[in-house]
Amino acid sequence: MSETFFKGNMNKILLVLIFSSIIHFASANELSNYSGPGDNKDGYNSKNYETNSLSLSDRKGKSADLIKFVTLKQLGLPELVIPENNPISRKKIELGKKLFFDRRLSLNNTMSCAMCHVPEQGFTSNEIRTAVGIEGRSNLRNTPTLLNVAYNKFLFHDAREYSLENQVWQPILAHSEMAMPSFGFTLKKLELISGYKKLFEEAFPGEGMNMITFGKAIASYERSLVSANSPFDRWYFGGDETAVSNSVKEGFKIFVGKGNCASCHSIDKSHALFFDNKLHNTGVGYAESMGMLNSKKTLVQLAPGEYVEVDNKIIQSVNQQKRKNDLGLYSITENPSHRWLFRTPSLRNISLTAPYMHNGIFGNLDEVIDFYDQGGFDNELLSPLIKKLNLSKIEKVNLKMFLESLVGENIDILIADALATPVGDLTKNDPNWANKKDMGYNE
Amino acid sequence: MHLRKLGISILGAVFYIFSNMSFADETCMSPYMAKIVGQEDYVYVWTLGVEGLGDEQDKLVTIDVNPKSKTYSKVVSVLSVGGRNEAHHSGLSDDRKYLWAGGLDSNKIFIFDVHTNPRKPSLHKVITDFVEKTGGITGPHTFYALPGRVMVSGLSNNKDNGGRTGLAEYNSKGEFIASHWLPTDGDLRGAKKEGKFADGYGYDVRVQPRRNIMLTSSFTGWSNYMMDFGQMLQDTEAMKRFGNTMVVWDLHTRKPKKVIDVPGAPLEIRCAWGANNNYCFTTTALTSKIWLIYEDKNGEWQGKAVADIGDPAKVPLPVDISITADDKGLWVNTFMDGTARYFDISDPFNPVQTFGEEIGGQVNMISQSWDGKRAYFTPSLLSNWDKDANGDMQWVKLYEWDDEKLELTHQWTVDFYKEKLGRAHQMRFGAYSLYSSKTENNKKDVTLLDK
Repeated sequence: MSETFFKGNMNKILLVLIFSSIIHFASANELSNYSGPGDNKDGYNSKNYETNSLSLSDRKGKSADLIKFVTLKQLGLPELVIPENNPISRKKIELGKKLFFDRRLSLNNTMSCAMCHVPEQGFTSNEIRTAVGIEGRSNLRNTPTLLNVAYNKFLFHDAREYSLENQVWQPILAHSEMAMPSFGFTLKKLELISGYKKLFEEAFPGEGMNMITFGKAIASYERSLVSANSPFDRWYFGGDETAVSNSVKEGFKIFVGKGNCASCHSIDKSHALFFDNKLHNTGVGYAESMGMLNSKKTLVQLAPGEYVEVDNKIIQSVNQQKRKNDLGLYSITENPSHRWLFRTPSLRNISLTAPYMHNGIFGNLDEVIDFYDQGGFDNELLSPLIKKLNLSKIEKVNLKMFLESLVGENIDILIADALATPVGDLTKNDPNWANKKDMGYNE
Repeated sequence: MHLRKLGISILGAVFYIFSNMSFADETCMSPYMAKIVGQEDYVYVWTLGVEGLGDEQDKLVTIDVNPKSKTYSKVVSVLSVGGRNEAHHSGLSDDRKYLWAGGLDSNKIFIFDVHTNPRKPSLHKVITDFVEKTGGITGPHTFYALPGRVMVSGLSNNKDNGGRTGLAEYNSKGEFIASHWLPTDGDLRGAKKEGKFADGYGYDVRVQPRRNIMLTSSFTGWSNYMMDFGQMLQDTEAMKRFGNTMVVWDLHTRKPKKVIDVPGAPLEIRCAWGANNNYCFTTTALTSKIWLIYEDKNGEWQGKAVADIGDPAKVPLPVDISITADDKGLWVNTFMDGTARYFDISDPFNPVQTFGEEIGGQVNMISQSWDGKRAYFTPSLLSNWDKDANGDMQWVKLYEWDDEKLELTHQWTVDFYKEKLGRAHQMRFGAYSLYSSKTENNKKDVTLLDK
């Protein structure tokens, strides 16, 4: 398939090669291996596990000029459409980034966007299946990655939002996430924190700080988290045969052929988003709602390579926040045919964003591939695109290697830039009753 | 021969007096601190607020525990502090005038004045900038008095809510001095990695000053200790994020010397008091074992699993522990079955459980009087780890302990839900005898250390 494609598109490929050489964002020297967990648990299931933990205090990062990732096209991605009412600017990106890492944007000053969208964990959270919000409140879903989120037509796993500018507010005001009490209170608090007022005035001349510009600022930072020009892109779109191994190439054949993965994780001729901006029922939501995933005992890990089977009655005895069913798109449309429909996620950078599926049920790509190989979880609304695949062992290995080739070239730059951003924590000068600096009530 | 026996007896008596006079506190606190050797007057209970209960916020609850008082076994003071901070542990300053109490979630540290009026503590100061000052340590856990200092052990960090963390050193006024990060593979900070792990996780901190060592243990980060416990047990990724290490530090220089593998989340550390007992105990929450951390004959500190706690396959979840002043007994509470277990640790390498009794459906903390005759219990572990509505009861219970008959006798219970207070967590003792208001009688009950 790729050979035919190359023959018919040689001129385009040459142009792309020239272009990609211009926007080659990171030289080998610049890469600093920030992508990957700082607290590495690979092999923790074995008694031979050894730690490979990185020092937090040494992870200073390095600031980057992120605007180029928005304005310059990266190999493998289509041109980014910027909303007319929120043109991109460096000042907006910088302000949005500062807000993104500011834990004071939560009721008790502990949760920022970055506490769930952890940069070095693929801008999601590798360490837990489903997100834990303020005061430990349980959320139903796995934190979605923000890498390439700018291309999403819908946001949230159930597609309930359509623009980043609007989406920004929901986690901030959600009781189970950051729990700020209102738009107004959030903005008032920000006004009282030193520096923000000026930054808003500089980023939004004539507008200053309001609920619209707040959304625009964070959206601008999130929009800059674009990452492509992966080894796959350099091979498939760039024509560099040495960019990937033969296994990756074989895996790609499975992806677009026998595996039928590309029917949802779409690939176009000039680019690949690896999603279709649609929602599908894979059976994961159905199986969970119907209790099909429950068993009488759970295998609980106690230490490296050490497990014990625990009776679920014992587990239930310490389960205060009983899990509610998650019906996907149905939750917002109440259309019964929308039960258990969830948004197709992109596969770009997929090897950095475990665990997988809307509820984080699969810990690694092997489990995901096995799940689709067996045809998902059967139910009356199962997507007709999902069928048993009968993949061989080697086909699965190659498919996984293909998926692992989708890590963007600039990922270390994005993470290093995030690590270089100061985390906004409560200071003595910030509004808080214990600082004797209240919000102005009853003065 | 007789002279030799006499000599041994005198040495024994000196040792007994030394160990009791100089080191035995209410058995688990810093040796750099005055102690209550007689009857305590108050128990201060650091209590978690509960949504839908009373004023819903954390509070310091004071219970009158002097049997001669008219208000014996009653709540005599409640001081609400705003917010559900994940109230957890507290510790007294070296002069014992102030109680430092932390919020594992909000990272606020509340410093209570407990000496001006021990019956009615007041809020002296709130440290709100702990995370900013420390450079990202979160989850202030143990507050441990060193001379003129309070060492605060962290549980997590502000970057990923994981377990990598550090110690924060403050002076007694509540001013930040320094952060001491736990050693990781990326930066061992001069420590020797003894085994396979250098996870950088933290939990408790204790010292043996005469050996110039400080010990830390390791638990888990914010995303786990704040998560619903039942949910976490089923989350295969989350269960990989527990500490498996203890670190031996040089107490004077605050430099880590050695990282010891102790798999399965070693939590509370209790060091022996005896002048020649160069060892400390810990228990592992997940693998349910007692570990001995001891100095070997070559002067090297080692770790050894020395006993199982209950049936580890049933995950009894050992939580708080308490060593007796004579180093012969170790209380180990197991949360899941609500049981207090007493181990004979006369031979520290071979602890033997000699007693066990269910205190309630769940039990966490124990505080015993210095003579070991009174043991106070509370049940709360963490706000989202306590049992569900069917098993969640919150109280403070007093028992008397007869270490000859091996018998616990229940004295009273204060029901913290009935009183609309919250989840009862850590207890610290207060006594008039410690302060200037002491009388001739209670002067006998206080011994100040040589400082």
